Amino acid sequence: MPVSRAPAGSGRDLLGVLHPSARALPGPQPVTPPPVATGGRLSRTALGLLGTAALLLSVAASVRIGSADVGYGELGRALGGRLGLAVEPLPPLLDSLIWDLRLPRVLLAALVGAALAVCGAVLQAVTRNALAEPYLLGVSSGASTGAVVVVVLGIGAGSLGVTGGAFTGALLSFGLLLILLRRGGLDSLRIVLTGVIVGEFFAAVTALILMASGDADTTRAITHWLLGSMASARWDVVVIGAVTTVVGLAVTWACAGALDGFAFGADTAASLGVGVRATRATLLVVTALMTSVAVASVGAIGFVGLIVPHGVRFLVGPTHRVLLPFTALAGAVFLVWADALARIAFTPREVPVGVFTALLGVPLFLLILRKRGEL
Amino acid sequence: MPQRARAGLVFALALVAAGCADSGGQDRSGSNGAVTVASCGRDLSFDRAPERAVALDQGATEMLLELGLEDRMVGTAHLVTDIAPRYREAYEQVPVLSPDILTGEQLREATPDVTVASFAALYSRDRAGTREELAELGLPSYVSAVDCPEDNEAGLTPFDRLFVDYENLGRIFGVEDRAAELIAEQRQVVEEAEETRETVTDPPTVVWLYSVFNGLPYVAGNGGIPSDISQRLGVVNAFDDVDEQWPEVTWEEIAERDPDLLVIGDLSERGAPGDSAEEKLTMLRDHPVVSRLDAVRETRIIEVPGIEMDPSVRSVNTLRLVAEGLRDLGYAG
Repeated sequence: MPVSRAPAGSGRDLLGVLHPSARALPGPQPVTPPPVATGGRLSRTALGLLGTAALLLSVAASVRIGSADVGYGELGRALGGRLGLAVEPLPPLLDSLIWDLRLPRVLLAALVGAALAVCGAVLQAVTRNALAEPYLLGVSSGASTGAVVVVVLGIGAGSLGVTGGAFTGALLSFGLLLILLRRGGLDSLRIVLTGVIVGEFFAAVTALILMASGDADTTRAITHWLLGSMASARWDVVVIGAVTTVVGLAVTWACAGALDGFAFGADTAASLGVGVRATRATLLVVTALMTSVAVASVGAIGFVGLIVPHGVRFLVGPTHRVLLPFTALAGAVFLVWADALARIAFTPREVPVGVFTALLGVPLFLLILRKRGEL
Repeated sequence: MPQRARAGLVFALALVAAGCADSGGQDRSGSNGAVTVASCGRDLSFDRAPERAVALDQGATEMLLELGLEDRMVGTAHLVTDIAPRYREAYEQVPVLSPDILTGEQLREATPDVTVASFAALYSRDRAGTREELAELGLPSYVSAVDCPEDNEAGLTPFDRLFVDYENLGRIFGVEDRAAELIAEQRQVVEEAEETRETVTDPPTVVWLYSVFNGLPYVAGNGGIPSDISQRLGVVNAFDDVDEQWPEVTWEEIAERDPDLLVIGDLSERGAPGDSAEEKLTMLRDHPVVSRLDAVRETRIIEVPGIEMDPSVRSVNTLRLVAEGLRDLGYAG
């Protein structure tokens, strides 16, 4: 295996060619981050409005969808009652269905979708690898292990909580990944293979913990959760998710210039005046935090971070200042609909949403590859 | 003998505890029909008998049907195997909300006024919702006493705790007479089976094979119905040293413990590979080591419905079957 590769050389293999920094592609994007043209800005404004409208509409539409059909009248009564309007209150159980379960669930799907998609975009730039995302790099597995240690073994249940455990696990897996990648540079294939190894290692630890201490029922419950399920969404989780997603978005967006630099390699970033080590560390910690909050609340949902940034890059180009907000919007819309599908596709059974993101994600990914002329 | 002395002490304590059981946390508050029942760490209050019960699993479903409550049920869920034939007709009247574990939305949509479950684990955020959440909505959540030995008097066995359930549900639904009848019936089966113990001279060791999953056997450890049955019949559960209800073990471990006989659970209605008693028998006979055990070569094997190895209103049937099996195989008179 080559110890390191010149940025130009890595653009020639399949993985490299997918990368935003791949220059020789017949893609619609200009080669360097361009000064945004007036026409482009207008269409981006329009696209931005369109995206926001799509998100709001998706949330409004999918709130109705589920095992129980919720009408807008009932929705209005549930919301109106809480806003102090004079509406006829719903029966308590129906009110609880809408207010305690359905609304937080849809909002959490939007928040987690946005967070995971942004994590994918950031990791792809920082590691200069088109296939980077929390799931593929083993970060989700690390977060799952941390969460399972807390839930099943009860270690740190009081002090850390599930989110804390997931965060520790995510950081550990990231640390392990970086230690393994310490020598030899950030070659695309190396990163993916190392990420897979780290992921497998943590998956094995999780399996070991479940085998050693879980009874069949706990194992079943955890397995369902590990596949990614929104069923446990409540308002407290939504608040945590909202705070992390907003903070994470703000931090990564503030680093947008640095991310553009990273996409062209650490040397380019350094020459652009980016403090490479500190910025990279900040971005990795922020993505680890966002991933672990997502995993702790809904389990490991894969492919969102892979699919969404690629699709969005195709639409708005690789400049992170634009790419990140659109990625967040698209990720939110994507997961809101994936979860709505998970709720009703096999009623009365509910399918873990992670299964659907993979089922939807893989063909979409192939389509993107094909559009870019790589398949 | 110190061990016998300790057993005697436990028995005495159990008697004392059982004597107090009637008063502990179960006050009938007044004559207007209001009832408070303690259930696995929560006090459930009922102003009047519930009319819209949802049973979260098969054990709870069959228990309510046995008490003749099908008219007052608005839903069941999570059926592991076929409903027992004697409940089938009543069962037809009750809507199946989900074949799987019930979600919070499905439960709320059914607008129940009480929920009944065999396992506390069914009440979690990603399932029906926590018991705290349901309590805030004014929805009492009953959990079988079998699932929370720590909340019951010390020394009660799973069968004793099943009887606690019948009594509690009888009071909640105002069908105390039917519950008392059921307790008397099942107590009689238990006592008859226990007479078998007197005739067991050389206590045989038994491995209870519940299911085979991914090629690995799940057997009965300590604390469950099989362990209880073994003690009542004077036989030795070979895996009683494992403090877990259904530990996953290896075939080698079973061979090493070389049991005198095997009880195998038939779960053929569940339909997964290795679930039927026949398939389990084939596996035993094909295994290079297990097939050489005396119990397998001489077919000292008792078949029971696997679902009855889990605590439920049907469990006494397995007690009866194993007692019969012991007599047939010549271990009891």
